[in-house]
Amino acid sequence: MMKLIAVAVAAAFAAPALSQDKPKPPPAWHQGKPPAQAESKLAPHAGKMTETPASEIPVSKLKLPAGFKAELWASGLPGGRAMAVSEDGKKVYLGTRVIGRVYEVSDDGSKRSVRVVVDKLTQPAGVALKDGNLYVFAIDKVLRFDGITKGGDVKPVDMTAKFDLPPEQHHNWKYVAFGPDNKLYVPFGSPCNICEPPTKEYGQIRRYNADGSGKEVIATGVRNSVGFDWHPKTKELYFTDHGRDWAGDKGFEDELNKVSKPGGFYGFPYCHNNNTPDPDVKKAKACEGVTKPVLLMGPHAAVMGIKFYTGKMFPAEYQNSAFVVRKGSWNREKPFGFDVVNVRVGEDGKASSRPFMSGFQEGGDSYKFWGRPAYVAQMPDGALLVSDEQVGAIYRISYQRPKAAAKKQ
Amino acid sequence: MLFAWKGRWALLTAFFISVAGGQERVQLCATCHGPDGNSPDPKVPSIAGQPKLFIETQLVLFREELRKSELMLPVVKGMKDAEIVQLAGHFSKLPAKGMESGKPDPALMKTGAERAKALRCGICHLSDFRGQNQIPRLAGQREAYLAAELRAYRDGKRTGGDTIMAAALYGVSDADLRALAHFLARSPAPAPAR
Repeated sequence: MMKLIAVAVAAAFAAPALSQDKPKPPPAWHQGKPPAQAESKLAPHAGKMTETPASEIPVSKLKLPAGFKAELWASGLPGGRAMAVSEDGKKVYLGTRVIGRVYEVSDDGSKRSVRVVVDKLTQPAGVALKDGNLYVFAIDKVLRFDGITKGGDVKPVDMTAKFDLPPEQHHNWKYVAFGPDNKLYVPFGSPCNICEPPTKEYGQIRRYNADGSGKEVIATGVRNSVGFDWHPKTKELYFTDHGRDWAGDKGFEDELNKVSKPGGFYGFPYCHNNNTPDPDVKKAKACEGVTKPVLLMGPHAAVMGIKFYTGKMFPAEYQNSAFVVRKGSWNREKPFGFDVVNVRVGEDGKASSRPFMSGFQEGGDSYKFWGRPAYVAQMPDGALLVSDEQVGAIYRISYQRPKAAAKKQ
Repeated sequence: MLFAWKGRWALLTAFFISVAGGQERVQLCATCHGPDGNSPDPKVPSIAGQPKLFIETQLVLFREELRKSELMLPVVKGMKDAEIVQLAGHFSKLPAKGMESGKPDPALMKTGAERAKALRCGICHLSDFRGQNQIPRLAGQREAYLAAELRAYRDGKRTGGDTIMAAALYGVSDADLRALAHFLARSPAPAPAR
């Protein structure tokens, strides 16, 4: 059970005089709820754990810039989120959370088939491929499936002992990826909405050698990062981070951060966004020494996957820009996010964002969504895959040049 | 009484006709959960009028062995998602009713109501405990079942789709869990919000 350091505002939520007088931590996502919002019915959205038939996925509602097209590429993947794509693009592996499975999607060129690689795991959200080997990160387990992309059933190697996984579950589902340095990057979220993490092993991003040796902490003060990628030119790590909840509709905002050199402190729980101290967890000079975000991604946006685009299919203006997914808010009266944005980083390092993909949320100022985008991946042909955790599907985004230009090819 | 039973069977018969193939599953469910989804066995939960998404989620959790039950596993093993969705749709539409007989204990009712308020059960389960989405209806649920599940949540032996319930019940005494179960089982069972 969580032994989180009590946050002052937790008192606002505490039940009067429990019979055994034990300190009662509120549910992790409830922590930090102010008295003004004590009766708020805002709660995380329900996931869907059953297959959504392809006929019930309204792909035609998706909106993209002119020339881009979305099609349903794969479905029947309940809870599917982060994707790892094989070099030839013929295998895509997806992690999940509650349903405990890892899926393999095989593409024979015309259609896709789905199988479950492993199940009954505790939130195996992290998947990464290296040299044809699949790494699966559950909250409490690490498995490696050697040579899996060649097909056939592969018995996993249990790597758990090498990675020093801490016990808390909340915010410790993973996104994992290999960097340009061939190291495996693994986040360890802060196990609460807002708190001083119970021990130092939380609120950080680490990297390891592929065999789990050489552990190195490269970022601290991270709340919950479940997406990162490396800039194709500068090779710097960009990671997304979810802002805290129960601080009102305006904030705090989710962030896009950059690791220019290992060891930076990114502010949690004391300082958020651009020099704003936390209202609950207080410290003198709360924002001193904090690495500031590259870009604010919006309040409660649930910023997830990020992928820098290096393909040839999309127009040149997208080269080396990032596609960033905002799965969509819950801790906000009015919905925010439910889209994919395109982030461009200038020569001066300044970043800006513009809309790219939307249409999942149809209710305007009230919640009425049919899908929730989660991650992006790039295919060998330059198409973009977008996973949808709500309906368990993958969309393929392609770009068609104007007809005159296409004919010349 | 006779009419009531006839009504139920008529409803079931209508369902059998409408979904050929689903009838064996429905009958199997009915063996323990009651022909109308309101359980005659105090240790078995009522599933009538539970939110559809809640039933779907629990059946998937049983099938994937993430919620462990020796009774449920053989029933759901190999069950297709489409069957789960169909069963959930069926039982979520059946009217829920309280199944506890015998007089409510005033002291337990009082304590239970107070605890439910203090623990803010109504924020997720809604103020009349009708449940919503993946969150179950508690009102009118069988008392013995509720008491056992509340203990299992508190003691970390059952998790749902998240760890919320374990945290919500952290440190709550056995006596209070009994009172909560008594009170909730006797709260009037409304139709679920959809």
